[in-house]
Amino acid sequence: MIHDSLIRERLVTGDKTAADVTRDISRPILNQPSSAWKIGFTLSLIFLGIFGVSLFWTVWTGIGVWNINKSVMWGWDITNFVFWVGIGHAGTLISAVLLLFRQKWRMSINRSAEAMTIFAVVCAAMFPVFHMGRVWVGYWALPLPNSFGSLWVNFNSPLLWDVFAISTYFSVSLLFWYIGMIPDIATIRDKVKTKTAKFWYNFFSMGWTGSTRSWARYELVSLILAGISTPLVLSVHTIVSADFATSVIPGWHTTIFPPYFVAGAIFSGFGMVATLLVVARKVMNYENYITIGHLEAMTKIIMVTGTLVGIAYLTEFFIAWYSINEYEQYAFINRATGPYWWAYWSMMSCNLLAPQVFWFKWARTTPWFIFTMSIVVNVGMWFERFVIIVTSLHRDYLPSSWVMYSGSLTEVGLFLGTFGIFFTCFFLFAKFLPVINMSEVKTILRNRE
Amino acid sequence: MSNNIKYWKGEEELNRDPQFLADQKREFGEALPLEQALSDEGFELNSNRRDFLKYFGFSVTAVALASCSKTKVRYAVPYLVKPEEITPGVASYYRSTCGGCNAGCGVEVKVREGRPIKLDGSRDSVISKGGLCATGQASILSLYDTERLANPLIKNEEVTDWTSLDGEIKSKLAVLKATGKKIVLLSDTINSPSTLRAIAAFKETYTNVEHVSYDAVSYQGILQANATDFNKRSLPHYHFENAKAIVSFGADFLGTWISPVEFQADYAKNRRPSAEGGMSVHIQFESTLSMTGTNADHRFPMQASKELANVATLYNYLAKAKGLAQIPVPANSELAGNAIEKASKLLLKNAGKSLVISGSNNTEIQQLVNAINMLLENYNSTIDLTNQSNQFSGNDTAVQAAFEGLNKGSISGVIFYGSNPVFNQNKEWAAAIAKAKLSISFAATKDETAAVCQYVAPDNHFLESWSDAEPLKGLIHFTQPTITPVFNTRQAQESLLNWAGALPANEIDALKNKAILSQKIESSSFYLFVKNYWEGLIGAEDFQKALEMGGFELPKTEGIAVYTGNVSALAASITKAQASTGYDLVLYQSIGVKDGSQGNNPWLYELPDPVSKVCWDNYVAVPKSIAVKLGLDEESTVNIEANGVKYENVPAFVQPGQANNTISLAVGYGHTHAGKVGGSLEKGFAPIGVNAYPFMNTTRDVLIGDVKITKGSEKYILAQTQTHHSIEGRDLVRESTFTSWKKNPNAGNEKSAPHIYTIWEKAEYRKDGSPNHLWGMAIDLNACTGCGSCIVSCSIENNVPVVGRDEIRLRREMHWIRIDRYYSFVTDKEKMTREDDIADVDAYDKGDFKHWENVSVIHQPMMCQHCAQAPCETVCPVLATSHSSEGLNMMTYNRCIGTKYCGNNCPYKVRRFNWFRFNDNDKFDFHFNNPLGKMVINPDVTVRTRGVMEKCSFCVQRIQEAKLTVKRKGGNMKEVKIETACQRACPSNAIVFGDLHNADSEISKLHRNERAFSVLDELNIQPSVKYMTKIRNTETI
Repeated sequence: MIHDSLIRERLVTGDKTAADVTRDISRPILNQPSSAWKIGFTLSLIFLGIFGVSLFWTVWTGIGVWNINKSVMWGWDITNFVFWVGIGHAGTLISAVLLLFRQKWRMSINRSAEAMTIFAVVCAAMFPVFHMGRVWVGYWALPLPNSFGSLWVNFNSPLLWDVFAISTYFSVSLLFWYIGMIPDIATIRDKVKTKTAKFWYNFFSMGWTGSTRSWARYELVSLILAGISTPLVLSVHTIVSADFATSVIPGWHTTIFPPYFVAGAIFSGFGMVATLLVVARKVMNYENYITIGHLEAMTKIIMVTGTLVGIAYLTEFFIAWYSINEYEQYAFINRATGPYWWAYWSMMSCNLLAPQVFWFKWARTTPWFIFTMSIVVNVGMWFERFVIIVTSLHRDYLPSSWVMYSGSLTEVGLFLGTFGIFFTCFFLFAKFLPVINMSEVKTILRNRE
Repeated sequence: MSNNIKYWKGEEELNRDPQFLADQKREFGEALPLEQALSDEGFELNSNRRDFLKYFGFSVTAVALASCSKTKVRYAVPYLVKPEEITPGVASYYRSTCGGCNAGCGVEVKVREGRPIKLDGSRDSVISKGGLCATGQASILSLYDTERLANPLIKNEEVTDWTSLDGEIKSKLAVLKATGKKIVLLSDTINSPSTLRAIAAFKETYTNVEHVSYDAVSYQGILQANATDFNKRSLPHYHFENAKAIVSFGADFLGTWISPVEFQADYAKNRRPSAEGGMSVHIQFESTLSMTGTNADHRFPMQASKELANVATLYNYLAKAKGLAQIPVPANSELAGNAIEKASKLLLKNAGKSLVISGSNNTEIQQLVNAINMLLENYNSTIDLTNQSNQFSGNDTAVQAAFEGLNKGSISGVIFYGSNPVFNQNKEWAAAIAKAKLSISFAATKDETAAVCQYVAPDNHFLESWSDAEPLKGLIHFTQPTITPVFNTRQAQESLLNWAGALPANEIDALKNKAILSQKIESSSFYLFVKNYWEGLIGAEDFQKALEMGGFELPKTEGIAVYTGNVSALAASITKAQASTGYDLVLYQSIGVKDGSQGNNPWLYELPDPVSKVCWDNYVAVPKSIAVKLGLDEESTVNIEANGVKYENVPAFVQPGQANNTISLAVGYGHTHAGKVGGSLEKGFAPIGVNAYPFMNTTRDVLIGDVKITKGSEKYILAQTQTHHSIEGRDLVRESTFTSWKKNPNAGNEKSAPHIYTIWEKAEYRKDGSPNHLWGMAIDLNACTGCGSCIVSCSIENNVPVVGRDEIRLRREMHWIRIDRYYSFVTDKEKMTREDDIADVDAYDKGDFKHWENVSVIHQPMMCQHCAQAPCETVCPVLATSHSSEGLNMMTYNRCIGTKYCGNNCPYKVRRFNWFRFNDNDKFDFHFNNPLGKMVINPDVTVRTRGVMEKCSFCVQRIQEAKLTVKRKGGNMKEVKIETACQRACPSNAIVFGDLHNADSEISKLHRNERAFSVLDELNIQPSVKYMTKIRNTETI
């Protein structure tokens, strides 16, 4: 029996039984897709098409179809990369860190957060891959034994660290997500009717029988993977931040970047989780599983990380002043008052000021408001990366090379297109896999027999 | 068991059939189907199984073998008879004369496998002194221009046969001669003795021919003034190397005026601060900001239409000092701050070693200038009129007469040689030419004038021609071909001699028709014409030697020109002269395009203007005050109207340093018949910019008064390579004054090297005394004038693609070397280098924006600095850019995957990315997009593919070539002079390259010089390039 706390909100409301959980969560998988799903999926496919067209145009013609130039050689591409990687952070944080901290409220949201992570990392990977001038030889960035002579990769390069960091993160996240899903897949396997579905769910359930031994090992593997994933939460964005921090460009060359990037990543990740779940709980009728309590917990994290990020912004300014380094000082004054001031102040207001509304209970518990704020957070975080990348490059050391930069239609298309990838994957996930971890949620039901 | 078992194969064998036994003895048991095979039947398909297998096996093998060849077969045709002078892979160099403009620089042509691929100044030429300007550098591409006429034209129809053209022209010439109709041969200035002799021979046969010459940008003012004052209608030879004080009224003598390469070299000699020689002072009075003005120690804005009064004022100050009569001048003829008086004091102090010049084409101004120089006793010191310049001697009056003659019908025939009046005079010429009974053009392309001529007899490019030149009296330069004519063209001189029937008898040469380069060239009739003349004069041996050297010099004539001028005669026009009440329009030549004679040359259009950094278009430069009044922004256009010529929506450009009430526009743009690049109405390519020549009136004055200017309705974005113009107070360029430098050679460069804490030991190869080379560069900011010759030279040497206007608008020029130009705004109180400070002062300005007129300018060449601790190297994930043990920052194109991280992390932003494939791409339809244009490609340098990064390599191919030469021939690397392309081209020798491990080398000395500093030293990236602090001689007046 689980002790029913008097002061703590219930994690699952609506007096659900274990059977209810199974029924509710496998419903979308067993039934025909709803019209909302169909509309959403079609839209996602349209955006996916935009991605395809933009990508084809880029690879066919050359990176020149973007507007990046002699001084700003990274623009929307790497902005989008960091944006998506950041979003990918919440999944691992929720599933691994909160698992280790025994935060049980994570149980009904970790599955979708992890899925989001994986899809976001896929979107993120598109940019470093396709921003290469010669993507067809991109595999040279992998330390593969080759017959080109004594050619090897450069372990000094943060871009190479990225290759390792992102691929490790992706594989561990995928594994964690999949292993966590095995008992649920087995549940679905037992319920589906068609031969094909039976075959595939059977295949992916890996012969799960639900024996005590299986469960014991399952728990152990989850714990180990959580242990492996936890440092990754910190390492991935630390390494992404090293792309900038190890350089010599004023505005990039900053030691505060690793913690600041990680906080920003968690901030944006939770923003994206909030965006998805506020919609999903409504559309899929999961309000009893993803409760207001969940939303409130997430808003608190958003507020804390947003404030952390804000402090980082201010610290950067202080350090620039304190450094007596004129290039550094100019870079920051230019951010706030230069030609890209609007990007800077969008970032400031979305990331530092806006989340402060979550001091108020109403703001933390009103789903439509949380949804709006989550969008604001992600807009702000996109601008943060834009500000870091573009405003630092567009005016660096020699004023003779100072330029302006604005994205081309193709660059915008690629960015919008990644939402196509993301939501196409997410809709398929919502249709074919259990969005909430049934087996785990069953452990926190109040009326568990 | 007995061993007598008998095996048999068939009944025949068992029965010992006699027929079988007989058959067995033959090679083929069965009869061969020979009859069948040889008859018709044999061709039908009746082969048996065995044959089928044989055929099948054979064909499969054959197909398999054939398909093993995976690449397209391309044929390299080897020399049938290898010319003696050509070794594949090794360049040959020939001396010749540049045909880029009329200055006549001696050049060295680099030829690889029979293709001229590079022009550089000849060190033995008095004019080029080893350097060459951008226009000259780029003129090699006109040789490989697809717009060139491949055949002569008769009434716009191509004919492949010169004899039919010659026949028609000869008969027409004969008719005109018989009827006594006048013919005009209209050329640009010709100073080639042989060409003049050819013209004389032509005139001898056709006595009705008159030779008239004119220059697109006229020097008639000086010529007339000298005719009046010295009774000698020619340009003097200016000696800037002797001038300690230079006062120039609007003459852009470092950029475009008369002989800029020579003047730059001479000028630079006195611009390097030296304890013994001192340093010259240069004062520039001008209304536009010219490149020369940017180099002046003192630059004073001057309203162009007040120049006459200003020059007269200078005369008065000098006359007063000398106790001579003054001439009356209008009130307010002195400039702000008594600038003219200061100049006069300086000049008096340097009398005899000073020089006053004016860029005006007004005879009266030039007469005053003559009088001033006479007063200062500058003749035979800085000015030599005895050994005069023949570079420009056109006669605008005669051209006007010719135009009227053509219009009225008194002239019935016209021949254009090196002249294009429809473009560089005015459009009315087209109608006048149409009236002529005979019109011939020697233009190499179908230019504006050739398009309306009956006959076009295309001339060779100068690299395909034999000729000579006498740019200065007594200085003979030779032009020799370095390639057989690319097209079916013929030298104009040969055409003239042919029509005159005066061709020298061709030597019968057994090899003439074997298409062997040297023999073919030497069998040219004009060669014989030139050779016979010079051999007669100096002998065969000396002629051969002179050809090798590029020319020879005759002893200078002694004596001084006798001055007979009288300034008091000018008094009337000076007092009458009123500054225009409206705006002045000043026409000027841009540094690259110059007079526009190379209208289809993409290198020149892509060369940023040294001052405005605008490429590809001409524009109306307006001062800030006009811009504010008209409400112009960066993308505005203006309508201008003057002298009955009106242009609408011409892009406007706010030019700091432009004098208030003065606007300026470059000539040489707006071609309608240049071609794909330069604009061709015929082929549907829009002209580049507008043609400013029609503004000039009959006096060919570059100053046009009372211009109407209004804001245009359209927007236009100019392609600029630099869009931020102030240095923001950063320590990137160091400056000081000559006075401070004399006290302390460290002046301006006192800032000590940053204190670096490092845990790393110095790399072995960088340590003094290590046996390797360590390449470095030094750039003297005092010598660099910002002309951009190095940019073009580098682009040619390193196959840098031309990207076009749109890509530059996106800030994607590919130049490996650029010249950063910073303005600092000067108010009464201070120099402002920060954008915000300037904006603050602007905000409180009452509309005259005086601080915008007074700008101080600095040029800083910037290329890859080959940092010892290069930020670009550490960030490349695939090690595509790495460091050599000789200190070079190397780029491995093959390895580059194009992450562009190196470009981002370069603090100098000198890395260039191949955004597209710039060759064989119709979107970049320049010389890399056609086989002819590709002939200019340097075979020693890779043409980069799409998606890779590139940058300055310190001309690593030249270093390699030197090493190979030393290896092959023996010797010491210390004795080999390796010059990078930018260094080789620099007319003022501002760039020095060499081995820092050789302590005695020039580069080592310069790196140790007190003036040497590195840009961004504090980043501890240890650049290999050092700059010499700019010393301005500003405290002398």
